[in-house]
Amino acid sequence: MIAVEALSKNFGTFTAVNGISFEVGMGQVVGFIGPNGAGKTTTMRMLTGFIPSTSGRASIAGHDVFEDPMTVRRRIGYLPETPPLYPELTIGTYLRFISQIREVPRGEQVRRVGEVMERVGLTGWENRILGSLSKGYRQRVGLAQAIIHDPEVLILDEPTSGLDPRQVVGIRDFIRNLATDRTVILSTHILSEVEALAERAIVIDGGQIVADDTLDGLRERVGAGVRYRVELCAPKGVHVATEVGGLDGVDQVQPCGDENGITALDVRAPQDPRTAIAGLATAKGWEVRAMERHAPNLEEAFLHLVGNER
Amino acid sequence: MNAAWAIFRKELRVYFVSPLATVFLATFLFLAGLFFYMGVAMSGEASLRIMMGNLSIALMFLLPMLTMRHFAEEERNGTLELMMTAPVPLWALLFGKWAASFALCVLLLIGTLLFPAILAYYGDPDWGVVATSYMGLTLCCMAFVSAGLFASSLTDEPVAAGILGVLVLLPFWLAGTMAEMVEADWLRELLRALSMMTHVDGFSKGVIDSADIVWFLLVTIGFLFLTWRSVESRRWR
Repeated sequence: MIAVEALSKNFGTFTAVNGISFEVGMGQVVGFIGPNGAGKTTTMRMLTGFIPSTSGRASIAGHDVFEDPMTVRRRIGYLPETPPLYPELTIGTYLRFISQIREVPRGEQVRRVGEVMERVGLTGWENRILGSLSKGYRQRVGLAQAIIHDPEVLILDEPTSGLDPRQVVGIRDFIRNLATDRTVILSTHILSEVEALAERAIVIDGGQIVADDTLDGLRERVGAGVRYRVELCAPKGVHVATEVGGLDGVDQVQPCGDENGITALDVRAPQDPRTAIAGLATAKGWEVRAMERHAPNLEEAFLHLVGNER
Repeated sequence: MNAAWAIFRKELRVYFVSPLATVFLATFLFLAGLFFYMGVAMSGEASLRIMMGNLSIALMFLLPMLTMRHFAEEERNGTLELMMTAPVPLWALLFGKWAASFALCVLLLIGTLLFPAILAYYGDPDWGVVATSYMGLTLCCMAFVSAGLFASSLTDEPVAAGILGVLVLLPFWLAGTMAEMVEADWLRELLRALSMMTHVDGFSKGVIDSADIVWFLLVTIGFLFLTWRSVESRRWR
């Protein structure tokens, strides 16, 4: 449904997006995740055709975004980072206007406006002035605007940013319902959001894709990052790290401290090595002070992928 | 076409839900009344010539205030992104906005019909001249709205866009005065050709010259074209 090939965008000498490629199938929900300034918004703007790319191609439903922009525009619904509202208009007139420029047939406009207002929980709010709405309601109007023409592809830039927790739950439910028969790309910098909504995450940092995987796949990467922290007390002169490293099934041993005769080790192994280490310690007469499994969570995996300095 | 019509109505609605249109209409009609009184009292003629001349200059300063928010405000609200990702061709956006401002101008001019009516009650105005004067003012509005739209596309700060709009129009006004000050014949002719006053003058005397009409249409289309280029180029930055 969405195909992106070596897409790049430079702003002057700054490279915002650097040769990214990915594909999104029909009916998939993909989370676009990365720190602020990673290039999420720029990528989405290129997908919608709002800004042209410096190089590379993007197509939606087989139509090139740059060569056939009108066809693409008809097929997508787009919620930019800040909901694009005219502060002077009321919710009703605004949505009616959107239905007109989104080519909803004249006879269906009133019905569609009513439907989307009900869907985002705005029924009865027709006459509220957009400029007076709180952030949560603006976001709802923004979502209503994006779905009024019943698009096949939805591109949502940080749909839950700035909402209170109850509203976040509401908007997520709403997006989940939408996603049943639509292709959705949503960007976020909150991991739990991808977890709650998407089946696949594209992790982007510094304008490049650093991971493109299902959530299970990402968790597997996390699995590879499991470490065992072992603290042993051995007589002076014994090289504990080498001995532990010599055990079957231990990949890597990293000493990380030696205080008061207690040696701390970071052990990496595909299978839990603690029984073997305990056995070794007993055989050698060492004292075991601590052994714990240290599995990074999704957040840490994400930080690992995008670099810790952020 | 449907999109242009929707945009046209949306823009008019925005004008009237904000105090802008009301303040603008009131100010303009007040000035028109002042110019009318001055004109008639000073010349003692049952003519609109002085009022029309002054109004065309007043429009030059006032119309950019009416058009300044068009693109500047869209940029600020983020709604330009909305328009540029909806299936709306750029010409429809331009035309819808231009037509909405121009429609407000027409409303304005209809409001000033009160003055020829007063003339008709007390005297015997030359209706031909009145008609051509209105034609001239209408053409002025077309060109000024177009120039103001262009100014609005240059910045995302509406007030700056308003000032730029006046600045863009100023040469068309000053060129006439400059023409009288230069020595070189070719330059004087050029400045005269550029001057709006030269082209408005005929209409206020009751003369319809097709060259004048073409001049206004060219300025209108020229600025619309520049606006189109300017909005388009925003996306490339």
